Amino acid sequence: MCSDPSSLEGFQWLLCYLTTAKHMQFYGSFGIVMLLLVVTVPFIMVFGFLGALARRSGFAPFRWFGLGYTSMVRGVPDIAFFLFVPIALDQFVEFSRHKIKCSDSTEPIYQGNDFVVCAAAKMPLGSAPQFFHEAWGFTLAVVAFAIVFGAFAANTIHGALMAVPKGQLETARAYGMNDRQTFWRVHMPQMWVYALPGLSNLWQILIKATPLLFLLGIEEIVYWARELGGAKTGFFTYPHPDWRMWYFMALLFFYVFLTWASQKAFIWLEIKLARGMTSRTTGVRA
Amino acid sequence: MPDGNKDTGNPVIQLRDIHKAYGDIEVIKGVDLTAHRGDVVVLIGSSGSGKSTLLRCINLLETSQAGEITIHGEDVSWKNKAGGRVTSDPDQVRRFRTELSMVFQQFNLWAHLTILENVIEAPVTVLGKNRDEVEESGRALLSKVGIADQADKYPSQLSGGQQQRAAIARALCMEPQAMLFDEPTSALDPETEAEVVQVIQTLAAEGRTMVLVTHDMKMARDVASHVIFLHQGKIEEEGPPSEVFGNTKSERLKQFLSSTH
Ligand SMILES: Nc1ncnc2c1ncn2[C@@H]1O[C@H](COP(=O)(O)OP(=O)(O)OP(=O)(O)O)[C@@H](O)[C@H]1O
Ligand SMILES: [Mg+2]
Repeated sequence: MCSDPSSLEGFQWLLCYLTTAKHMQFYGSFGIVMLLLVVTVPFIMVFGFLGALARRSGFAPFRWFGLGYTSMVRGVPDIAFFLFVPIALDQFVEFSRHKIKCSDSTEPIYQGNDFVVCAAAKMPLGSAPQFFHEAWGFTLAVVAFAIVFGAFAANTIHGALMAVPKGQLETARAYGMNDRQTFWRVHMPQMWVYALPGLSNLWQILIKATPLLFLLGIEEIVYWARELGGAKTGFFTYPHPDWRMWYFMALLFFYVFLTWASQKAFIWLEIKLARGMTSRTTGVRA
Repeated sequence: MPDGNKDTGNPVIQLRDIHKAYGDIEVIKGVDLTAHRGDVVVLIGSSGSGKSTLLRCINLLETSQAGEITIHGEDVSWKNKAGGRVTSDPDQVRRFRTELSMVFQQFNLWAHLTILENVIEAPVTVLGKNRDEVEESGRALLSKVGIADQADKYPSQLSGGQQQRAAIARALCMEPQAMLFDEPTSALDPETEAEVVQVIQTLAAEGRTMVLVTHDMKMARDVASHVIFLHQGKIEEEGPPSEVFGNTKSERLKQFLSSTH
């Protein structure tokens, strides 16, 4: 049916237009955004907990590291980090592979302004299928997001751990709990109530930051919206004027829906977690 | 017997010449205290005299700098540390704490757990007891303190008096050798206060070993087997309630008692 678009009219034309291979890639890029969110969140939480626990550690170097990590990310613009982390990580990996795999190479890695490693050290290999190149790019993006957002999460979690009333923890000790039991049985369960508003906020910011993938060379939805929406001349199979507005409007709805739905989910979670932990517990929660 | 079966003839709690300072300020200046099985030792004294601090030194929530603490004949073991001492055996500390259940002025029920969960938490997690069995005795204890119907509520849904009774049930569920009360009725309004006083009287009558800090002189008179009047970190006067209240010797205690009436 779609073999000769120039003969199509109205709705049929639109249907064929919206199912081109490029459009399929466009729809797929929504999946990429969701995948990034799903994959990054566990890492963000892990980085967040490690950062927060490092800041509370009794071992001074850990404490300095935790403080350094959280304040560094806070003080540097996100964009700078998103550009820095993947490049740094990429070069670090290729540099290491070069040293291992091409130890006999006499060529210097830094040639003037260029960073050159032997072919075997390329990550992924030049011969690797396209999929690996995309997966590697995506991995670097996940790491960049996890580092940056992990630092924010660490701040939130650290604050939440501090917000749990001392009396609750002291009572755990008074009943013979050791540090581990106190942490897992009382501190952690109570911490969530204080962490959730901050984490919910962070999640919204994370959603809104996903177009930064574009900066990392990943063809995500903003890229495709611009690409597909731009005016197409008669040379194209489906010529059309500048439709970017419509494409961006679709993005707008996507993001609004996503943030709205997750807000709902967080409110539900907050109510569930706050069971019993409301302000009426006089003194205990002062 | 409610106090368990550990009868060695030794006092349950014995403090000798305890000193405690915060920084340069000494707040406990050499206090002795002995609680034999079934004793109810009541600590009275004006605000800031060191009652809470002394109580917290007993279960090692606070570290005293000098003096001996002996629980059932076993000395707390200490090691020296820059400028003072710390306990040297964490297992011993935790074991002693499970034997000395504390009831706090502000109840301190765990806010994320229901009343029943609060009661069974430490026996299950710390003592490693069977959950179902503890739950059964937990419910029985909640009936005993008169709040069986509140078992599945959260602390914030209860009145102060109900919360404090739940906290007492939590302490009892540890089957402790002794109970430590820090002004258990001070955060309560007069009506609910009576409920808690009644529970404490029942416990005293059962022969439980207790150390009780209170501002309630009537309760002190009713339940005490031994009264200690603390003044600025020292024992100013002590003895059986009939002597301390009926035949007061120290001027300070006379003043204190007249000011509390
Ligand atoms: N953590 C602390 N740091 C410094 N000083 C403290 C600390 N806790 C208590 N103190 C001081 O120790 C002294 C004794 O306090 P404590 O709480 O034992 O008195 P109390 O007899 O229980 O009084 P109250 O009847 O008001 O409860 C007070 O002067 C108090 O200011
Ligand atoms: Mg006190």
